[in-house]
Amino acid sequence: MTEYKPLYVGTVTKYVFVESPDMTPGDLAIRAYEISRGVMIKETCFGLQITGKEEDVNAVIGMLRELDPAHIFVKDRGFPPGDPRRCRANLGGARPGYYGHEFEISLIRNVSKGLESLASRDPERVPNPPSPESGMALDISKLKKIIESMEG
Amino acid sequence: MAKVFIYPATSLILSDLVARFGHSPLSAAIQIRERIQTPGLDSPPLQITPEEPKKGLKYAAVEVPSGVRGRMSLYGPMIEKAEAAIIINDADYAFGCMGCARTNELIKFLVRSSGIPVLDLNYPKSEGEGEEFVAAIHAFLKELGESG
Amino acid sequence: MTKVRVAQLSCGPEYSGVQKEIDEAAAAVDAEIFYPDINLADIRRASNEFGLDVRSADLKLAIARGKALVEGKVEADAVFIATCFRCAEAAIVRNELRRYIHENSKLPVVSYSFTERTTAGTLLTRMEALTTIARRRALLAREVQEGTTLGVDSGSSTTKAVVMIDNEIAGTGWLPTTAVMKSAQDVISRALDEAGVKIADVEAIGTTGYGRFLVGKEIKADLIQEELTVNSKGAVYLADSQHGPSTVIDIGGMDNKAISVQDGIPGSFTMGGICAGASGRFLEMTAKRLGVDITELGPLAMKGTSGNVPMNSYCIVFGTQSLVNALAAGSTPEDVAAAACHSVAEQVFEQQLQEVDIKEPVIMVGGTSLIQGLVRAMGDLLQTKVVVPHHSQYIGAVGSALLSSGFIKGE
Repeated sequence: MTEYKPLYVGTVTKYVFVESPDMTPGDLAIRAYEISRGVMIKETCFGLQITGKEEDVNAVIGMLRELDPAHIFVKDRGFPPGDPRRCRANLGGARPGYYGHEFEISLIRNVSKGLESLASRDPERVPNPPSPESGMALDISKLKKIIESMEG
Repeated sequence: MAKVFIYPATSLILSDLVARFGHSPLSAAIQIRERIQTPGLDSPPLQITPEEPKKGLKYAAVEVPSGVRGRMSLYGPMIEKAEAAIIINDADYAFGCMGCARTNELIKFLVRSSGIPVLDLNYPKSEGEGEEFVAAIHAFLKELGESG
Repeated sequence: MTKVRVAQLSCGPEYSGVQKEIDEAAAAVDAEIFYPDINLADIRRASNEFGLDVRSADLKLAIARGKALVEGKVEADAVFIATCFRCAEAAIVRNELRRYIHENSKLPVVSYSFTERTTAGTLLTRMEALTTIARRRALLAREVQEGTTLGVDSGSSTTKAVVMIDNEIAGTGWLPTTAVMKSAQDVISRALDEAGVKIADVEAIGTTGYGRFLVGKEIKADLIQEELTVNSKGAVYLADSQHGPSTVIDIGGMDNKAISVQDGIPGSFTMGGICAGASGRFLEMTAKRLGVDITELGPLAMKGTSGNVPMNSYCIVFGTQSLVNALAAGSTPEDVAAAACHSVAEQVFEQQLQEVDIKEPVIMVGGTSLIQGLVRAMGDLLQTKVVVPHHSQYIGAVGSALLSSGFIKGE
């Protein structure tokens, strides 16, 4: 067994995804470089990866979020950017987590809409989110009506 | 600030919303980061060594596959630390750390039986559902903030 | 030498701490593991088209990657399918995916179920066989032995040597394995003597079996090759079944091999054996207990009825206990011998033959193929007549001698 010596100890890496009609990953990168404060920034096809001390990374992310709050999304990453263990060039194909992102990005506009409308929402209104129950079977009386209408 | 376990633990959406609304998301990445940044025996790609499935015996018996026990060595301690949880139930396309259905069943069971507040949801498939989805998470987290 | 690109379709190795072992086994045979590149739409489509509705997303991913290989969207030289041992969902996917790739492409494929204890050493022979099939198709296509060649099979129980001259077996040697080199040298001398040739007359040498590297290095072999490809080659050669499909079963002293062969080249194979109870070793113990030579066990079993003795050799210790109990309860040695043969055949049938597609002819090779009771039991289970070619106990040595003749003219 070989010994493992970690790199980037004490840092955090976070993904910053942008899925916006008003802003491209390139725009986001330019802004990030301007305020980078010594954190490491890596551009990706969906946004950025930012690496550095946690408070510095959070500070940069806080400023970036303000640019387009409902369309910028942030998530922790276990690996530093470009790590050969997760790099597509070395693996031949994408790491498994990539497909999970691909899936969530495909419906993230719905979340953006939710974020946009949150401020104007009546705080007393009880949320009725999609849930495992919402896809339950048809009510029996409704089914009966459908059958009756078909027979007619 | 409450520690909120998110399911799928790899979710960008949940990780973002929990942090955005002022709490601390417990995600797979944080567990992986801890391993990636800890010296030890080399075991690429995730620095999960054959010892991890043995640690997972705390959560699942030896006849449970090694991949389940290895994953549980990541999730078990997180669930123990969690003060609340948000579960997206129709997470059929979460891979890697969340790629094993048996592990996922056990995770959900342990979360639910721990007695912490749990918000059960599905992914929002329309903008209307998106509004209710975000509002529900916001309200759930707000309540945690008030009680905590 | 260009690296053989082995596509990995898997669920769980990264989380079992064994991905490094897989990578190391591949690197040891100059191969590299890679993951076919696809996108989410491919995963959704593949799940529907393949028709196996699994819950685990990583298994969906494995299916989609397998489809990309078969459809030629991603190129590979070989396929390694690996999932967690004891996972039923994964076992179904592993088996169906292996069958799908085997039937719809020319890619050699091996499937394996791992635990956290799996090591690179365990995987090495399988990985070596995969890369050999990918890399040496031309060599494996050889159907005729030429010149004077020597094949040595340094097995865990026995060491065998064969001298072949112009497509005929001219001399053989067989001994229980003691010191690896000493046993090899002794069997080589015997084979050379019987063939009436000297080592200097030998034009090419091949080695196989557990001791292949040590023996091969010492006697300067031209070909040092794992037993999966060598034995299947030897089997179809001796059984005169070099064209079309066949299935090779080799119940060895330490592990068992089941190989689906097409035109003499292994397509998919399994290798394993959970316990010595499912190996030739158990039959040796049975013979010892019955006070007969191992060569007498087969004829004895042919006279008995296995159903008369309850026996399950899943574990060699408990299997031996059943043996003792049966004898104490007055069972005949014939019935006990038959039961032991049936038990071993059943273990191999249940644990391994489910992972390859049985296509006729079914060829049994290796020392255990000489135990008629075992061959009969296997035939009963598979409901087919099992072929045991001449010199079947020398299978690895014959395969080595055959293949090594490809090196005579520097092929």
